[in-house]
Amino acid sequence: MSKKSDFKNYKKEIMDAAHNDRLRLALSRAIKSFRGNVKKALEKYPGTVDMAEEVIEIKQKAIPRMEELAEQAIREIEENKGKGYIARTADEALDIISDLTGSGKLIVKGKTMTGEEIGLREHLEEIGNEVYETDLGEFILQKLGSRPMHILSPSIHVPREDVAELFSRVIGKDIKPEADIAELVAAAREFLREKFFQADIGISGANVVAAETGTLFIIENEGNIRLATGAPPVHIALVGMEKLVPTLADAYKVSEVTWRYANYTVPSYVSLISGPSKTGDIEKVTTYGAHGPKEFHVIFLDGGRTELAKYPKLQQALYCLRCGGCLYECPVFAVTAGNFGDKYFTGIGAVWAAVVNKDPEKAASIAYTCLTCGRCKERCPVKIDVPEMIIELRKSLAEGE
Amino acid sequence: MEKDLVPPGLTFLADNIISTQNILGIDKEQSARWAQHLNLPRQAETAFFAGCGYQFSGQLEALMSLIRQMDKSVIGAELPMRFARFQKKLGINLPGMYSKVLSRGSTAEVPPLEAAIKVLRKLGIEPGYLAEEEPCCGAPLYQAGLHRKFTENARQAYKKLKSAGVRQVISIVPYCTNALQRLFPQFIKDYDLEVKHFLEIVSEDLSSYELRFPREVKVTYHDPCQMVRYLSLVDEPRRILRAIKGIELVEPEWTKEKWSTCCGGGGGFEAVFPELSQVLAVNRTSELLETGAEIIVTHCPGCVMQLKNGLRELKVEGVEVLDIAQVIDMAMEK
Repeated sequence: MSKKSDFKNYKKEIMDAAHNDRLRLALSRAIKSFRGNVKKALEKYPGTVDMAEEVIEIKQKAIPRMEELAEQAIREIEENKGKGYIARTADEALDIISDLTGSGKLIVKGKTMTGEEIGLREHLEEIGNEVYETDLGEFILQKLGSRPMHILSPSIHVPREDVAELFSRVIGKDIKPEADIAELVAAAREFLREKFFQADIGISGANVVAAETGTLFIIENEGNIRLATGAPPVHIALVGMEKLVPTLADAYKVSEVTWRYANYTVPSYVSLISGPSKTGDIEKVTTYGAHGPKEFHVIFLDGGRTELAKYPKLQQALYCLRCGGCLYECPVFAVTAGNFGDKYFTGIGAVWAAVVNKDPEKAASIAYTCLTCGRCKERCPVKIDVPEMIIELRKSLAEGE
Repeated sequence: MEKDLVPPGLTFLADNIISTQNILGIDKEQSARWAQHLNLPRQAETAFFAGCGYQFSGQLEALMSLIRQMDKSVIGAELPMRFARFQKKLGINLPGMYSKVLSRGSTAEVPPLEAAIKVLRKLGIEPGYLAEEEPCCGAPLYQAGLHRKFTENARQAYKKLKSAGVRQVISIVPYCTNALQRLFPQFIKDYDLEVKHFLEIVSEDLSSYELRFPREVKVTYHDPCQMVRYLSLVDEPRRILRAIKGIELVEPEWTKEKWSTCCGGGGGFEAVFPELSQVLAVNRTSELLETGAEIIVTHCPGCVMQLKNGLRELKVEGVEVLDIAQVIDMAMEK
């Protein structure tokens, strides 16, 4: 019986979103500008399309070797005096991280979908830490007590007037509803600035990891990740295993394709992090913790990924670069945002719900919301065939394994 | 036995296909009424495959409007569909009963099908039509993930077509075409039907005709998902529309060809999310209206129904939705 009522609730959420005119307006504006930006970015750098083909090959080779690449990356990270870990499950990842943080700490966090996947912030708060999301969108959502509605623009559904009202309340500064966006951004900057420098720990994810050097590639525009991973004495990174590729050259290609299809000609910042901060400037003695973190920990999360890699038609979900392009092409997402999804959104979200989170009811709700119209596939830099995955998933949901 | 994870909208369609060989679960006599005056031969090597979507377009439209009203109400669309299934288990054929009610108001005419036959005849092609014996392609079963049932249905459908002496199929519904052309060979050994879409045939043969639309109009074309992203029939409709004098083809800048936006129907989505499907229909219709077109041309019974509904919801007057078969037929007259 609960199954039916779950579907009913889900459908209600979807329909509430679909009837929300403000959400629709925010999304239609975002879709329009995203499409225009991607077009411009690809016209200016036409080589990206061929590079995306190379990225498909890189992913095809890397995904079946995830564990081996994780072990290699850990060896390299430890060679650089960092620490590397493999977490088999979400709980294991949370345990590793909470052992590192303990309680009573001030933690600044960059946006990480993998963190969202395992409920990292909530967990760290529960065990008695003060955690600040530093990505502007995530910060807004944290303070609203809401969840992300898009993988790149998590607060895509919140209009500026609502942000002004929220900031007045939580930052304690009088911000008028008609305040311009620059004023809102400045208020968040001012509020978070001191947190970066007071924080005991900074947490981030990573977009790509080069196994041969253990280097994390982190793409961003705001600069919050530079501060969160640079200012505190400890940096903890949580990375899904599917982000590993063999070489630095591979990682570079994956990064460039990711940001281009994420509608940027070039992002403001790409951080490459391979170990803790160090200096040899005094008598050539290597000393750790110069200006950056003294400790550097990287947790590679399996959490169902190696199992997903075994499904012939579904494993392509692991190729996803999280550029977010497909979401802007999905006609259902255009009216519901992230309500059409779970930890991850739209069709790919159904695959994650089924295989990674082992939640067949949720997976079915999402899978049967997909139109299988296939426009997402046209946009996808690595040509993930979402309709094919959805039909395959429906088959196993409807007929059993 | 399938688990209870398939939404009721889809199990409703699936049950109907299995029991009556059509998605609505209504008696097959109704399916062939559109062709009665056309005197199409029942036996022929080349068969015209009309498909549920077109054959029952009148009933489908009436049923969808009913389901949408329920979906918007506190009842929701699930309960009545579950109820219909339950009734059937008890031996009461509810769909059969409501189909009589639905068909009372609807006419027997299906303009896109009649137009398609007229166009084929003008091109010298005289296809057969299996009428009430035409099997259902079962595409909604495949979409629902019920692949065992789809396979079983596909084999029976194939047998039926073969035993009627069919060698070539001219298919018109995009979903049926995809099923007959691309899915059946994956499930049936030694499948040997030659399946072509209506537009593939027509676009080759039309070049020698002078085509003129009865009036000067701005026309936009909506690519159905199955046509554009599954069957890759992108240039054919455009070539045809551009060849027709009197028609000016105007298209949405960002959402044409492979970027076409789904109308929100098809694949059974409209049966699971009737109300959301309407929201999507309105969105797609709005995109197409921005072109300033007076006629929205498309080529799928689902899209036709959805876009008509979009126009109604938007209260737009002076714009109509036509199937491309009708447009070609109109352009060949005189």
